[in-house]
Amino acid sequence: MDAVGARPAGDKRFRWPRFPRVASAIGARAERWARKRQGEDRPSTRLRSRRIYILPTGVGAVFALTTFAMLLGSMNYNNNLSFLLTFLLASLGLVAMHQCQRNLVDLEVSFAGADPVFAGQSGEFRIAVTNHSRHRRYNLQLYADAVPSDIHDLGPGDSRVFKLAVPTTRRGYAHLQRYGIRTLFPFELFRAWAWLHMDLQCLVYPKPADEAPPPPPSRAAHGHRQHDARGEEDFAGFRRFHDGDSPRHVAWKAYARSGELLSKQFAGADTSSQWFEFERVDAVDTEARLSILTRWIVDAEQTRRDFGLRIPGVEIRPSHGDGHRHRCLEALATFGFTERVKAAA
Amino acid sequence: MRKRSGTDGSLLASLPWTLAALSFSLAPHVQYLPGWIPVAFLACAAGRWYIEKTRRRLPPAWLRVVLALSGFIGVFASYESVSGVGPGSALLAVMAALKLLETRQRRDQFVLLFISVFLIMASLLREQYIWSLPFLLAGLMLTMTAWLRMSISDEISIRDSFRTGGRLLLYATPLTLAMWIFFPRIATPFWSVPIDNGGVSSGLSDTMSPGDISSLTLSDAVAFRVNFASNAPPPSQLYWRGLVLPHFNGRAWSGNDPSIDLRAQQEIQVSGNPVGYQVTLEPTRQQWVFALDIPYQWSLERTFMGPQQQLMSVQPIDRRVAYEAVSYPSYSTNVNLSRMARSWYLRLPDDDSNPRTVELATQMRLSADSDQTFIEGVLNMFREQEFFYTLEPPALGNNAMDRFLFETRRGFCEHYASAFAVMMRAAGVPSRIVLGYQGGEMNRMGDYMIVRQSDAHAWTEVWLAGQGWRRVDPTAAVAPERIEAGMSAARFGEAGARWGLTAPARWLYSLGLTWDALNAKWNGWILGYGPENQGRFMQWLGIDDPDWRKMALTLLSVVLVLITAISFLLMRRYRPPKKDEAAILYRKFIRKVSVRPRTGETPPEYAARIMTLNAAPVDEVNTITERYLNARYGPPDARSLEALQRAVKNLSGSSKSPIRAL
Repeated sequence: MDAVGARPAGDKRFRWPRFPRVASAIGARAERWARKRQGEDRPSTRLRSRRIYILPTGVGAVFALTTFAMLLGSMNYNNNLSFLLTFLLASLGLVAMHQCQRNLVDLEVSFAGADPVFAGQSGEFRIAVTNHSRHRRYNLQLYADAVPSDIHDLGPGDSRVFKLAVPTTRRGYAHLQRYGIRTLFPFELFRAWAWLHMDLQCLVYPKPADEAPPPPPSRAAHGHRQHDARGEEDFAGFRRFHDGDSPRHVAWKAYARSGELLSKQFAGADTSSQWFEFERVDAVDTEARLSILTRWIVDAEQTRRDFGLRIPGVEIRPSHGDGHRHRCLEALATFGFTERVKAAA
Repeated sequence: MRKRSGTDGSLLASLPWTLAALSFSLAPHVQYLPGWIPVAFLACAAGRWYIEKTRRRLPPAWLRVVLALSGFIGVFASYESVSGVGPGSALLAVMAALKLLETRQRRDQFVLLFISVFLIMASLLREQYIWSLPFLLAGLMLTMTAWLRMSISDEISIRDSFRTGGRLLLYATPLTLAMWIFFPRIATPFWSVPIDNGGVSSGLSDTMSPGDISSLTLSDAVAFRVNFASNAPPPSQLYWRGLVLPHFNGRAWSGNDPSIDLRAQQEIQVSGNPVGYQVTLEPTRQQWVFALDIPYQWSLERTFMGPQQQLMSVQPIDRRVAYEAVSYPSYSTNVNLSRMARSWYLRLPDDDSNPRTVELATQMRLSADSDQTFIEGVLNMFREQEFFYTLEPPALGNNAMDRFLFETRRGFCEHYASAFAVMMRAAGVPSRIVLGYQGGEMNRMGDYMIVRQSDAHAWTEVWLAGQGWRRVDPTAAVAPERIEAGMSAARFGEAGARWGLTAPARWLYSLGLTWDALNAKWNGWILGYGPENQGRFMQWLGIDDPDWRKMALTLLSVVLVLITAISFLLMRRYRPPKKDEAAILYRKFIRKVSVRPRTGETPPEYAARIMTLNAAPVDEVNTITERYLNARYGPPDARSLEALQRAVKNLSGSSKSPIRAL
């Protein structure tokens, strides 16, 4: 585990030699042991003192050595005042140890969602930490493997969302099976931490292809070419608001009158049909096809065109909006996954 | 190679406190350090602050190397050594200054704060006054605050850092005291490293040459303190024997190098009642150990009696020591003196110095019928002729005794003792000079006697056939008040009269005595808490025959108990409040007011109804209602609950009457 706060690149300070293989072997063993001991956590977990671990830091080791040297000095000179100073330091160290551990006890840690990302981007897990006590908790930090979050305090009764960025490489689901919360308060002599096992997931869309062939042309269902800005002119009626409908189409006046959210429907909305089809993509590799489809969807949504998606096993009728885009991208992200995995999601 | 960039101002929150802690820890060293070191430190500190403030660049590496080298060479040149507290603290100061110049990140300040702690420790090795304790605590508090400032991430007020530091210090205090009391003390040091206390030791000098120094500076510094087992002897018996000077070279008296004489104690014949007492001797860096005439028993380790019944320690006394001693005011020593010894104590230089003194002594001895009457005659001469006691006598030059006896006739104890001893030798009476202290001032505040450096005194001993060595103090003949009242009392009266400030002076004087009593207690209880005191304390606690194993066990168990208590305290601190604590308090309020709330009535409505019913004072009801709403529905905060609790507790109302149904 590294010290809290990533050091800026190019920091050439002296570092103690480490033994990465031994350390990681011990670390892995400790983590397995903790996982077995603690079991799976609920999405919202109170940190009990039993599951908070603590070890001295490098500074703490130097502090202990210093105090020991001062003890020897005091004994040598039989100097009662420097004995006092030495024992004050030793006691402060012991008090700091307990304070450090207690700084985490009884915090509530809960999962607060993760937005889908494209492969290659960092998945951002949001973890809410709540301090139910009447006293301030200092210098809290969340971390997943080597990636730490920002460091923040929590005032009495405060709640705060910490963001954990987890790098992704492949489409599908990014998992965060274990993350930790740690603190170095008060003097950075000790590091107290707790491991949490929640098996959090973040949907990862396929990476949009950098170079994609042009999408298939739009075809109107009745034979004429769909004009791009279609549907904004010919008002056809209302329907109930659905997730994903553009706020620009919400009938705000009607909402003000009746309190009911309605979306305006425009003529021809259901007749549009720019179909993105898996089988027709000009590529051999499945992943490449998915990547190209992703690019088309992203571009189409940016230019506010309606589109439908047809991949083996899934057909999504042409539509537009954030909800539609998400449905399509999710289908691409989970393409080829077994039903069991999808259900778990 | 990384491009040097300017500082980013990230140290602005913590650097001032680090600088304050360092300066504070360095302050007591300044008077002992060569002047350039504090100046260099301040320059570096101010420079570093300026750099951070204006986001400038740190000095380049080559400049830092040059500065480091010159700093270390400078320390070595100033001290010519690198061990000991003096060079050690100088090196720490230089290191702090240099480290400041390369401190880029917050966390680099760790090193500075460790240096700050070391500087505090070094100053404690140097001096252990009463004010060293508040200094220690304040220094630690500042260092802790700087430490907290360094490690915080969010913007936290300095008050919060102080409070956190104070709280942790408070938790640590009982633990510290337990460790301090029970940690086994050992008597002997492992190794000896010089501690540079700066000042010159103010003990007695090993030789005495009256007339060389033309004025005696009186130091109020304490030489030693004495606790008598019963009443203190009268002032005329308070002669604290130090060293004995048997050699005279015509100008100066000198003694032998310290040597042990096992027969010296056997030569003492005592009579009358002994005087028992305890002496706490301040460090002198000399070997002399002081005791009342004539010392018979003493408890100081590795201390022996020399051939002239003087006490001396094998090693120079470089720390405060306490010892018990028993003396006999009436005694005689060396009743039989060998011929060789007698001629030794009669020796005068062969060069015919001080001829008039010798002639006067010979004449006076011829006209006296015994040694005893001769001695009386000389003392009468001092008493009746125009001899004056003064602390600022004229310088004497060659044939000092002649000049003193026949021309200047002004002097203090050394002059009279020396002249008297020379006259005795000239007349064939063996004599020698004794240096020590005379008198002492009782401090009623602590019921002990203070003997100061200004009480230093010189007197003579003469050998009489059949009686052995007798103490004769010629100064007593000239200035009996010096002996009877004691030096400090005489000076106090004089000063008071001169300035016409008797009342404030008296007040100051007694304040001084109180302070000294406090210091004596401090020395005895805090600084002197060693193996003996600890053993006594453990026995008082009921631990018989305490050895280090029992002590370690006691220490461990006490520390464990205290740590558990601290852990419990912290657990309570971070325990979430009970959700309905405010509601419980509010119900208590309802009981006190004795008005039953209606169903669905909100607290403000309820408060309004109470006011119309006049059931309780308006202000208090409003306060309680407001605080209840705040505590129950506001952010959980210890203070809002406490405020509600206070308000409910203070509510004056008929708490006993039954609830009225309305």
